[in-house]
Order: sequence, then structure tokens, then C-alpha cells
Amino acid sequence: MLLESSIWSFIGEKFADFLTYTGFANVAWANVIMILVGAFFIWLAIKKDFEPLLLIPIGLGIILGNIPFKAAGLEIGLYEDNAVLNIFYQGVKQGWYPPLVFLGIGAMTDFSALIANPKLMLIGAAAQFGIFGAYIIALAMGFEPNQAAGIAIIGGADGPTAIFLSSKLAPNLMGAIAVCAYSYMALVPVIQPFIMRALTTKKEKQIKMATSREVSQTEKILFPIVGLLITTFIVPSGLPLLGMLFFGNLLKESTKTTRLAKTAGSALNDIVVMLLGLTVGCSTQASEFLTLDTILIFVLGACAFMIATASGVLFVKFMNIFLPEGKKINPLIGNAGVSAVPMAARISNQEGLRANPHNFLLLHAMGPNVAGVIGSAVAAGVLLGFLS
Amino acid sequence: MYFTFFEFFRNLFFRINNQISRMDEMKMKQLAFAAIVLHSSFFILHQKMKKVLLFAFALLSGISMMAQGAHDFKINEVYVLNPADSSASAQYRDEFGEASSWIEIQNMSYSTHDIRGCFLTSDRSVLDKNMSAPDRIAKMSLVPAGDARTSVTAKQRITFFADGNVNRGTLHTNFKLVPGEDIFIALYDGNGVDLLDSITIPASLPAGNGYARNEDGSWSVETAEALTPNAPNKQVEHNKIAEWKSKDPHGIAMAILSMGIVFSCLILLFVFFYIFGWVLNRIAKLNRVKAIRKIHESAQKVVVMAKEGTETRGIEMDNYVAAITLALHEYMGNMHDVESGVLTIQHHQTEWESKEHTLRHVPEIHH
Repeated sequence: MLLESSIWSFIGEKFADFLTYTGFANVAWANVIMILVGAFFIWLAIKKDFEPLLLIPIGLGIILGNIPFKAAGLEIGLYEDNAVLNIFYQGVKQGWYPPLVFLGIGAMTDFSALIANPKLMLIGAAAQFGIFGAYIIALAMGFEPNQAAGIAIIGGADGPTAIFLSSKLAPNLMGAIAVCAYSYMALVPVIQPFIMRALTTKKEKQIKMATSREVSQTEKILFPIVGLLITTFIVPSGLPLLGMLFFGNLLKESTKTTRLAKTAGSALNDIVVMLLGLTVGCSTQASEFLTLDTILIFVLGACAFMIATASGVLFVKFMNIFLPEGKKINPLIGNAGVSAVPMAARISNQEGLRANPHNFLLLHAMGPNVAGVIGSAVAAGVLLGFLS
Repeated sequence: MYFTFFEFFRNLFFRINNQISRMDEMKMKQLAFAAIVLHSSFFILHQKMKKVLLFAFALLSGISMMAQGAHDFKINEVYVLNPADSSASAQYRDEFGEASSWIEIQNMSYSTHDIRGCFLTSDRSVLDKNMSAPDRIAKMSLVPAGDARTSVTAKQRITFFADGNVNRGTLHTNFKLVPGEDIFIALYDGNGVDLLDSITIPASLPAGNGYARNEDGSWSVETAEALTPNAPNKQVEHNKIAEWKSKDPHGIAMAILSMGIVFSCLILLFVFFYIFGWVLNRIAKLNRVKAIRKIHESAQKVVVMAKEGTETRGIEMDNYVAAITLALHEYMGNMHDVESGVLTIQHHQTEWESKEHTLRHVPEIHH
């Protein structure tokens, strides 16, 4: 009898102990808010079709990262040593997921539009002013130069670059920066059009651009090699991103490594994007994420995107002053200077068709769009070189 | 003669043996890479070329193997124990709690290197270039393998006790530093021949003081309190972020500089592909002009032949036909890239398309 009662009390004690481990016992309001944010991201991805490949892993990651648990050394949380999620997170923390994503981007990107009309590269450079404009504002808000640089890179509209740079310069803000960068990339269709419309006249929107010339295979093969040499000789600190981008592109364009290019652009890229999205989402644990800094980062990110879009459009208008009639560029492709590929180019096309149903700008906009990828990677390299 | 050959092979053996003994992970990777490249070359190159490349590559990998890693080690700080020094008790002590002279060596690079297999010496006679490797090594103190402490991470340091007692462990040398006279200290690579770094401490060094490398590479005398074994020497820490913050508080300089660099990169790419595209375009145009000229010449030949034929009536009709056919063939061949823009596939009604054939025949009913 005595034995039986001790067993029951033992079971009761252990059950009570078990209850202390459950999420219900450890939940905080902040966790609930973050879980709702995660659910909102998933809703945006599924219902509104906003970058589902990114927002679904991030959204679920946010939920996963905010499941409350007792800090009892169970090695389950993202920030706990030896936890599986922590192992996955090393790719973000050590910065080796972004170069792998760049490998995939390189293997999927066709630089023909840029090679056919190389002056479009300058638009990709001009749009990077979004980064440095945001850097100036971030400094004015009181951020340290390294934090300001990590936040400002959101203006490049390039998630992997933002993660790469912030993991090096401002690791404590990386979660917020990554979520912010990907969120705004998904919101390109919302942010960019009104700026483009406001900065262009009806006549400018009507500009029809001449059809691009054919690009030879030799040029396509030379592009990644020359691009790599020029950019990395000037900015060696951008080597991990630029090296992988051009490597991926050479795999594609060499025509001899189709299998490798296919893997880099599909299976490998998908695996990395899944792990990257999930762990970035997980890193937004309420205690780390729900801070004033996060709100400021989102404000700065929006500023960076708007400045980048405006500077791209305005730079095209500036270029048109010097270009002869018939060779003028439609300023509606200026927004594509940010590296949200191909979303930004699609917005250019959409706005072009809105002004003139027969004016297809997609191919022309792909030029500055892929130049933006190179430009943002170079800008990240420059900031890393100056501040690390 | 025999002696020279013997010496040569003895030296070579010692060098190889030492290199292998101190081969670290990086070198293993290097050898693996060399093996992969050589293996690939078997499939690529002609038999004779293969041998040449094999030899050249082996030579090159050997050269780079000698240079890798070890050259990043520099003597960074030295303390010479003076037995008369009353403050000796306060100095850096070894594992046995005893104070002795010490030599701090720093890995100046941003990657991990292992110092095992290198040699430390205070014997100036090893500077004699004619001395054989085994003789040199006999005068040096080896950093033994098998101790994880010899692996020095980026920008970090390792300190050896110059107490003349190697039995006390990896971090002890077989020589002592004698105060009151010029002290020569040298660090040699694993082959015992390549000098990595050396320093001569003047005899005038006050008792109880040390000698430390400055940021600019010069050396200065430091008091015992200012010595920093296994830590950075006292110098101004160069902080990039603080510098940017103080000199560019508004970010204008950063914006101008960075935008300039981004533009430079993309302008260079633009210039290259603009010129390259222009050259390709010119070449294509020249080829077209050449093709047209060739056609023109062929046509002229045909005209001349036809003219001659009508004038002399000596050429048979077959020759005319052959010449015209040849000219037409060349014309059609060269003009392949110039499309007429007219679709030449014309629809012809055939039996296969006849609707009648696709219909099922209704069986006739016989009454």
C-alpha cells in the first residue's frame, strides 16, 4: 500500500514536472505575437503569392523559433549549442549559405540582356545608392557604422547578400535584417510602382526601346570570367558572393557542364533556400526580435528600397539627356536596378504595359536587374572591406 | 666528389623527412589537390607532355610546400631572465611554476598554422650558408609534434621557455638565453635551412626588461610590467569602425567612396563588353562584305565566261550550265544567314490528307 502511494506520488510529481516543460507553461505574449507574424507570412505566400519560396520557410521558421520551451539544456533551440537547428543555423551564422544561393542564382541567370546592351549596367550601379542613402539615415538614427551598413544592405534587395554582410558586421541584428530584406523583396510590387509613376512623365513611359542584338556564345562565356576578374580585383572582399555567382553562370554558359548547372540552379539551390529560410525565420525568437531596433530596421529597410527605386529611375532620366533619339531608355526599367530578380523586372514590364499595352519592357529590364545582383554584391564587398 | 653527392642526398633526405613530419592539414589538402590535378592530366595530355607537366607540377608543389604557413610565424616578444633580477618571481612562469627566459612567436596570418617541426636557436653559427642541414639541426631546438598547443590560430601567439630543458615539455627549448651579451634568436623552417625570422637583443638590455616588436616592425625595450606573453603587445589597437565613426559621422564619405567603387566596377564591365560587342559586330560585318565580294567576283567570272562563249561559240552548253550552277551554289551557300522573310513551305494537297481516306467505309448491304 505504501509502495503504491509512493508510485502515484512519483507519477504525479513527474507529470507536474512534465507540465513545466510544455509550451503552455512557458508561453509569453511575445511568442504569440511572433507566431501570428509567422502565420501572416504563410498567408501572404499562399494567398497573395508573395515570394512563396521564401516566405513559407521563413513563416514556418518564425513559428518554429517561437515555440516556447523550458530552458533546461535540452539542446533543441536555435541558439543552443549542439541543437540540430543550431547546426543548420551555422550556414547563416558563418555566412556559407549566401554564397551557395549565389551559385544557384548564377546558374539560373541569363546575362544576355546585359551583354547586348552594356550601358544598362550603370543602372544597376545607380540603384545601389539605396544602400548608401539608408546608411546615412541609419547613422543619423544613432546606429554604429557596422550596424548601419548591415541594415543599409537591405536596399540592395538581395536576401543572401543582406545575410552575408549582416552576419559579418552586425550578427546581433542579422535575424531582423534577413526577415526585413526578404519581406520587402516580397513587397516589391507594393513599394515600387507608385515611385516609378511619380517620377516619370507620360511621354517617358511611352518610350519604346530598340530590340536587343543577338549575343554570341563567346560573349556569354566571357562574361562570367571577365566579370569575376574585374569585380574581384577591385573588391576582393566580395569574393565569396561574386566568385560563386560567376562560377554558377560559367557552369551554365560553358554548355559543357549542363548537369552541374542544373543541380546548382535547382536541387542544391532549393535545399539551401529551404534551410536558409527556415533558420532565418527561427532566429527571430521573440526575446531577440521584438525590440525597438527591429522596428527601426523595418523603417530603414523601407527607406532603402524607396531610395534605390528612385535613384534607378532618376539615373535613367539622367542618361537620357545624353542619349540620342531612338536610343533612349524607358525610365520604367530604372527600378529594376535593385537585385530582386525577376520581380523588379516584372514590375517594369507591368508598368510599361500599363502606359502602353504594346510596350514590353521585360527583356530590357532584365539587364539592370542582373546588374543589380552584381552591384549589390560589390557594394556588400566594399562595406565589408571598409568596416570588418 | 663522392662527398659532395653524399652531402647532397643527406641534406635532401633531412629536408624531406622534416617536411613530412610537420605536414599540416593545409599541406595534406595541397597534396590531395596536386594528386587530383595530376590524375586529371593523365586523361588530358599526350604521353610526352604528361611527363613534362608531371615533373613541373611536382616541382611547383614542392616549392609552394616549403613556403606555406611557416613564413607567417614571427618572433614577437622576448624576455631574458636575469638571475640577479629581484622581480623574477613576478614573471611569466612555466607549467612547473618556474620563471625563465621566454620567446613569444606570433602567427601573423589570418589562418591557423602549426609551428611543429620548426626550429628555434640562439646559435649564430647556423647563419653559415655552407653548413649542412643535419649540422644546422644539431645546433637547434625542435618544436616537437604531438601537442595541440603548437597549432596557432589566426593572429595568435605561442610562448616557448628558453630554459635549456626540453624534458619539461613541448614549450621548452634546449638552449638558454644568457643575459649581459648580445643574444641572437632565430626561427627556422622545418628543413633547418630557411630562416623565418631572427632578432639580436643588445647586451645593453636592462635586467628584468624585455624586447617587443612594435606595430611598424621595429623593436623596443619594455619593462617587465609592459610585457605581454601570449597576448598582443602594447600598441594602439586599430579599430576601423571607430575611425569611420569619428571621421565620417554622417556617412557622406562612405557613400561617395562606395558608390564610386561600385560604379567603377560596372563601368569597367560596360566598357569591356561595349568594345567587345563592337569588335564582334565589325567582324560580322567584314565577313558579310567578304561574302558579297566573293559572290560578286563569281558573278563577274560567269559574265566573262558567258561573253567569251557567245563571242567564240567554242564552249559547250554544259560548261555554261556548270558555271551558272556553281555561281548559284556559292550564292545560296553564302547567303544562308540572310533570310528572305518569305515562308517557302507551301501546302500541297496529297492523298494522305484526303478526307475520304479517314472516313469509315459503310459496308454495302446486299439483298
